[in-house]
Amino acid sequence: MTDAVEPVEPGAVGSGAVDRGAVASGKGRHRAPSRWTLSELRRHGPNLPEAALRVAADQVTTHLASEKARWDKGFTRRRVIAGAGAVGVAALGTQIVTTRYSFADPATNTRTLVVVFLRGGMDGLSVVVPTADANLLKARPSIGIQAAALLPGDSRFGLHPQLAPLLPFWQAGSMAAVHAISSPDVSRSHFQAQECFERGTATVATRTGWLDRALTAMGPGSTFRAIAEGESTPRSMVGIEQKLVLDGIEAFDLRSTGSTSNRDKTIAALQALYTGFDHPAAAFASTTLAALNSAHKIATTPYKPVGPYPGGGFANRLRDVARLVKSKVGLRVATIDLGGWDMHTNLGNVNGGDMRNNLDGFAKALAAFATDLGPSLSDVTLVTMTEFGRRVQENGNAGLDHGRGGLMMLLGGGLVGGQVHGKWPGLAPGALDNGDLAGPNDYRDVLGEVLQRGFGVGDLSKIFPDHPYTRIGVLR
Amino acid sequence: MADRRSTSPRRRAPSAAPSVPVPPQPTSPDLRAANAPLVDLIFPNRSPNGNGQYEPTGADLDRAAGFGPPAHDGQHRRRLFGRRRAAATTGYRPVMDKPVRRRRVLLGLGTGIVAAGGVGGAAALIAGGIGTASSGNTRLNTAAGLGAAGLADSPSAAARIAAAATPAFPTPLTRDAELHLLRRATFGPTLVDVVALKQMGIDAWLERQFSPQNIADPGGDAVLATFPTVSMNMDALRVALKDNDNLAQDELGRATIGRQIWSSRQLFEVMVDFWTNHLNVQNPFDGGSDSRTAYDNEVIRAHALGRFGDMLAASARSVAMMRYLDNASSRKKSVNENYGRELLELHTVGLDAKYSEVDVRQSAYIMTGRMVDRNSAFYYDKNQHWTGAVKVLGFAHPNTDAAQGLEVGEQYLTYLATHPSTARRIAFKLARRFVCDDPPQTIVDRLTQSYLDNGTAIIPVLRTLFSSVEFWMSTGLKTRRPLENVVATARILGVTPGTKTADGLDGIHDMLNQLGHAPLNWGPPDGYPDVGDYWGSAHATLGMWNSHRQLVLGSNKGLTYPKPETFVGLQPATVGQYLDTVALRLVHQPMTAAHKQALLTFLGAKNDTAVKDLRLGGKVDQLIPLVLDSVYHALR
Repeated sequence: MTDAVEPVEPGAVGSGAVDRGAVASGKGRHRAPSRWTLSELRRHGPNLPEAALRVAADQVTTHLASEKARWDKGFTRRRVIAGAGAVGVAALGTQIVTTRYSFADPATNTRTLVVVFLRGGMDGLSVVVPTADANLLKARPSIGIQAAALLPGDSRFGLHPQLAPLLPFWQAGSMAAVHAISSPDVSRSHFQAQECFERGTATVATRTGWLDRALTAMGPGSTFRAIAEGESTPRSMVGIEQKLVLDGIEAFDLRSTGSTSNRDKTIAALQALYTGFDHPAAAFASTTLAALNSAHKIATTPYKPVGPYPGGGFANRLRDVARLVKSKVGLRVATIDLGGWDMHTNLGNVNGGDMRNNLDGFAKALAAFATDLGPSLSDVTLVTMTEFGRRVQENGNAGLDHGRGGLMMLLGGGLVGGQVHGKWPGLAPGALDNGDLAGPNDYRDVLGEVLQRGFGVGDLSKIFPDHPYTRIGVLR
Repeated sequence: MADRRSTSPRRRAPSAAPSVPVPPQPTSPDLRAANAPLVDLIFPNRSPNGNGQYEPTGADLDRAAGFGPPAHDGQHRRRLFGRRRAAATTGYRPVMDKPVRRRRVLLGLGTGIVAAGGVGGAAALIAGGIGTASSGNTRLNTAAGLGAAGLADSPSAAARIAAAATPAFPTPLTRDAELHLLRRATFGPTLVDVVALKQMGIDAWLERQFSPQNIADPGGDAVLATFPTVSMNMDALRVALKDNDNLAQDELGRATIGRQIWSSRQLFEVMVDFWTNHLNVQNPFDGGSDSRTAYDNEVIRAHALGRFGDMLAASARSVAMMRYLDNASSRKKSVNENYGRELLELHTVGLDAKYSEVDVRQSAYIMTGRMVDRNSAFYYDKNQHWTGAVKVLGFAHPNTDAAQGLEVGEQYLTYLATHPSTARRIAFKLARRFVCDDPPQTIVDRLTQSYLDNGTAIIPVLRTLFSSVEFWMSTGLKTRRPLENVVATARILGVTPGTKTADGLDGIHDMLNQLGHAPLNWGPPDGYPDVGDYWGSAHATLGMWNSHRQLVLGSNKGLTYPKPETFVGLQPATVGQYLDTVALRLVHQPMTAAHKQALLTFLGAKNDTAVKDLRLGGKVDQLIPLVLDSVYHALR
């Protein structure tokens, strides 16, 4: 008989279970009018989004008193301002989101956060490599990278040679890294660790994802403000904020309508089918048709990226994000996944193996993305994260098993680039966590700094409630 | 290179006062008669046998899911949905008699219950609805009343009262009582349902639905035959899971869709969906590969029309729930509060009961000892049971003897199941599911009382619900969520199993997953939101419109799709008649003149244009989806 489970502290992540639990957000439900003219609305605030928010806030106060459904706390009704679609791209499908709003500086409301989750537990020590680290090279006789093979990083670290396409951005200050990253989850289980990262809290009792809460803090926006590039909503986006799940903007379209003229006729018919009666279904349909209109315009404008992208799904999705950023549809948050990092075997070295192959596609795609964005790169912050790093010591299969401290990389504007930030505990045997690189830097400090300094989010405690934020200094 | 791809994470995410006149009531179309043979079916059940103690670690679960060092043959297990298995002998066992729990039971009076203030045939009209509020605010406040309220002697009596009353919130949907009942008590009307219901009458139809075991279910049987793991006992399941750990959970999701589309026991399937969300255990989840199916059968389906108290007790002894909410890792010396908390917050009394964090901890203490062994069987380990006096809200027990800890838990669960706050929550959720997003307090109170008066039995509560005038006043006040929309579409089109039913349902499952509404796949334990606004996104709306095209055109191969041109029956003379027939066939009512004009414009025809061919020059392929895109199909 083996009692193989570690004792679990209450509130900590348990084993064998996915997310569950309550979020004591206590949000009220507000109701916005279903039919306002824009001029009426504008009277309530200095600009359209603020006016909409104030109207919604007034109604929350009125209706909180009659709130009955406590168990759908954390969920608020959203209403569409009918007629807002006529005004312009930013107002296309404008949605009043929630009662929580931040009157952020409008300038910071135009940037885009791209979150890339590297699934499987990427070995950061192979990517941003402690230069000539004796402990590391001793522990990794076949997969350790010699100093001579590294690209210049900073005074302590070098970059894996396969990151060569990104080197210009690193050296120009558009790229940075934070090593020895951890989350409260110590299980070293893929599912639980990913859950923890995406939930953004230590407690399994949180039902939403950190990006959902971040979207709330960022305030209202267009239908395109949150896009998961892929096939399903990532855990980090679970929650009340509306998001699109698509694999490319062309996918956001009415399908199987036949010819172009048939498509246009279908859209016209849908428009007419939802005119002439007052019901939320009509409002939802209007928003959808307006969003279809925008998406169609973008999708039918042939996109010429600046510079070639490599093939593959990851590059395609980055390309799509770049296109949307440049189309200025109000994209605030995009998520992309990239797997294949769980390298228990055949990690390889600079001449071959899985790490080299993975990094090759990764770096080429990211570099193409940054090149494509051009000056718009300063309006973007791309952050990579992974659920854990890997062990210092290589295993018997010339690979690495699950570890602790991982790596986050950042690409975009406003960075203190060309450097590795955060505490570096080192790889001396006494400094390791159960044989793994320790994780003294909390991933929420990186994300929090990005949100605060890059996206005008004020109160981080609503996004990372049980974490006291400490600034690391990755952003200017 | 070995496939070391890590899986993506477990996906484990009314309104305005209308001003449209009520459309004229359609006459019933002349349709084929319903067929109703009588065959008894016994629900499959299984009993896990287990001994020893073992709790898989996170690493074990990862390995089982395909991560980590490869298996000895160097191959990682991959999802192989659709791979055929030799049909294992499915051991059917009769439903075991559960011991009668000690509880106070006030025998209900069946359909003779009359609420104070509402009497038999007399209309209990309460001036309902809120007119337009000040400041031009035209929002819907259904919570205050729908135009009439009260409890009648029977569902048909309530329907008659409602038909004579004026709805506070008219919608574009017809107020035809039978159609309304089908839209709410099934996953969408079909031709057969409409005829059967109109022949049988509302009361007899409902009574029949209350005894699903007496309804022949060839559709449900076909689904079970397509997905054998859904009915397997533990031994057969172990064999089936050897090469594909995800098989049972994959099949369960697809089978659920299949049953919602094709089962004749529709009210039962609706209630299965309701309870599945109330006692949510995500499918798939790690820990569910060999336990989630049993949860569906033994906890939800076994009690969906039984007693909530029994369902709750069964969930508290289920491997899936113990794993999903971490109770299987809760130890006397290191108690995990997750299950104890959710038991209070979500499964029973809810936050309104104002329990404290101390209560949560005590709740977790009471449930310690409920574990899962190495054979994935539930067992009670008195060595892990926390002893000492426990108190949660009004429940107290000395809890001195660990050997009796399981029984202490049973008493606690009975207390919770019969608590008035639990009754209120379940009543509200039922009203939200069956009446409208913001149900009037009158019906919520009535259902609460019925639940308490009948010892948590569900059928009496449903009888009260269907005998309530509020139910029949709420025509069109619910918006179809993606799952409901897609299933209703398949049902009204008459999509049936085909040569590769599993593949076809797999396609529909993927479609729903992308919309965020694959059945059973909601991650947190609170279940899918049941209000229209949550789903009112461009993403979901567009997704539903696309699903209409997919289902009309038969994009998901493997099922049998009726040709779109068959929906008109005999060739109508004019396009106008064509559209009228199609509307009656698909949305059971004529459309407004404006909406009909929209379709005429689409077709490039006039009302009296002659119909030359049933396919309208090919345009029928696009016309039918448009009819389903309309508001008449979007609401229920």
